[in-house]
Amino acid sequence: MAFSTVIQEDRVRRFSPGRSVEHLAHVITFVVLVCTGLSQRFYSLDISQWIILHLGGIDNVRLIHRFAGVIFSFEVITHLTVAAIGIVYKKWQPSMVITKKDFTDVVHNIRYYLGIENSPTRGGRYTYKQKFEYWGILTGVLMMMLTGVILWFPAVVTKFLPGEIIPAAKVLHTNEALVVFLIIAIWHVYSAIFSPEVFPLDTSIFTGYISKSRMLREHPDELAEMEEKPLEDIPTSS
Amino acid sequence: MRCHGYPVKMTFRSGEALSGTINMSSLQASVHNKLSCSDCHYGFSSEEHPKRHFATRRDYTLASSENCRRCHFDKYTKTMESIHHTMLSQGNLEAPVCIDCHGSHGISHISKERALIAKRCQRCHAGIYDIYAKSVHGNALFNENNQDVPVCADCHTAHTIEDPRTLNYRERVPDMCSNCHANEAIVGKYGLSTAVVDSYLSDFHGVTLKFYRLQKGALNKPAKPMAVCTDCHGIHNINSTVGPDATVVKANLVKRCQKCHAEAPKNFPDSWLSHYKPSLTRAPLVFFVNLIYKIFIPVLVIGLVLQILLHIWRYVVNR
Repeated sequence: MAFSTVIQEDRVRRFSPGRSVEHLAHVITFVVLVCTGLSQRFYSLDISQWIILHLGGIDNVRLIHRFAGVIFSFEVITHLTVAAIGIVYKKWQPSMVITKKDFTDVVHNIRYYLGIENSPTRGGRYTYKQKFEYWGILTGVLMMMLTGVILWFPAVVTKFLPGEIIPAAKVLHTNEALVVFLIIAIWHVYSAIFSPEVFPLDTSIFTGYISKSRMLREHPDELAEMEEKPLEDIPTSS
Repeated sequence: MRCHGYPVKMTFRSGEALSGTINMSSLQASVHNKLSCSDCHYGFSSEEHPKRHFATRRDYTLASSENCRRCHFDKYTKTMESIHHTMLSQGNLEAPVCIDCHGSHGISHISKERALIAKRCQRCHAGIYDIYAKSVHGNALFNENNQDVPVCADCHTAHTIEDPRTLNYRERVPDMCSNCHANEAIVGKYGLSTAVVDSYLSDFHGVTLKFYRLQKGALNKPAKPMAVCTDCHGIHNINSTVGPDATVVKANLVKRCQKCHAEAPKNFPDSWLSHYKPSLTRAPLVFFVNLIYKIFIPVLVIGLVLQILLHIWRYVVNR
């Protein structure tokens, strides 16, 4: 999956078109899941009632939520399969894996923000912020996939497991949903939209390109690596 | 009174007869003791006493009940919406009218003795009365003279008695039960928790029911009748959930679950926490999952917001 031009005059190819499509699919399914899911959790709010009544009632909302969940699960499984195949057969660098450096980066960057260190951390393909966000959401989504199935088929599940599993799965599903929603709503939206470094929008996931100046600032280690190595060896996906 | 103090009687075309003798003492004891005869029997006086013809004694009762309307118009209109009036208008002349429940000359104040209300309904609904009498409510009413327990009219109302088999009626069941079971002043003294209503309303079935009620008319009808209080606890045969009857309640539960969750196994009802808040002793797993998130979510939000603020601050300082 090497691109004809990875490094151009003033911009760098960061994501393949496949990744852009994947991201868009995630956005759409996620919005559907949030609207139909959180409106059930916060059912007494006016906005929730408005959503549920305009989507054709509670039965319809649950149906939409479950099938959006199936589609999302399918997207996640595809994502993980592609990543596994890429890493095992195509020798992609497992650049999303959290290393010891990411933990020291957290401390380093907070010290930098507070003025104790002189320079920010040097990001690789993914910065520690992106990695922790990725794994936070991925683990949350996996837990929700599991508990979602339990809640969809409570009578089947209790054939093998004690009844208490059902309310526990519900508590876990709704709370984890809130966690993922908050990570996206607070952290992801800030990093991709409101952060002064990218405002009004970080377009790299949509266009596939990132400016060289941002690359230099946010992913200097990766840029250095790209410039030294021949093009076909450069990993384009995680 | 000159005539009706003596043995006189009315005869009907059917051959039935009705005594026209008035029991003065019961009239004096009635709530209407200030009224004169012609207030109800209008068009009649000692001078004017037109002859009227009724086919049967029942016809006379039905016609006489119309007289109540002149003063009790509000109650009269309410009965027009009742299942009893519907049956009457469909030709069932045995359906009760005012006089059947309230009596005629000896009308007393109805709310004084609550057991009497149930006894009035018993006349026609004897089977249900017997079931009710054995229930935790009926038992307390008849054996302990408990005036807190509901009688027929508390759930079915006194005049607007609706068909209780409708979806509409079923969806209001939690409201009826919560009249007492969400009222600490009533159920508190029996050691009953008022949390039962909220724990139902905030769980899956309660939330679904809430939306079914909002959706009525405008949107598609519910797929299945939602489980309400009476589905697990019974209707007229409500038993105590503690003591010897507790096992009966539990055994009935799985049967009710299976009506909607066809393949529900025996331990399926355990997925309902029986109105209890999850705690270390009851549903520890649910309790712990809840606890973890109660700590984790605020920590997460504070952490993320702090990171963002630090990031903005650094950006501003660097400029």
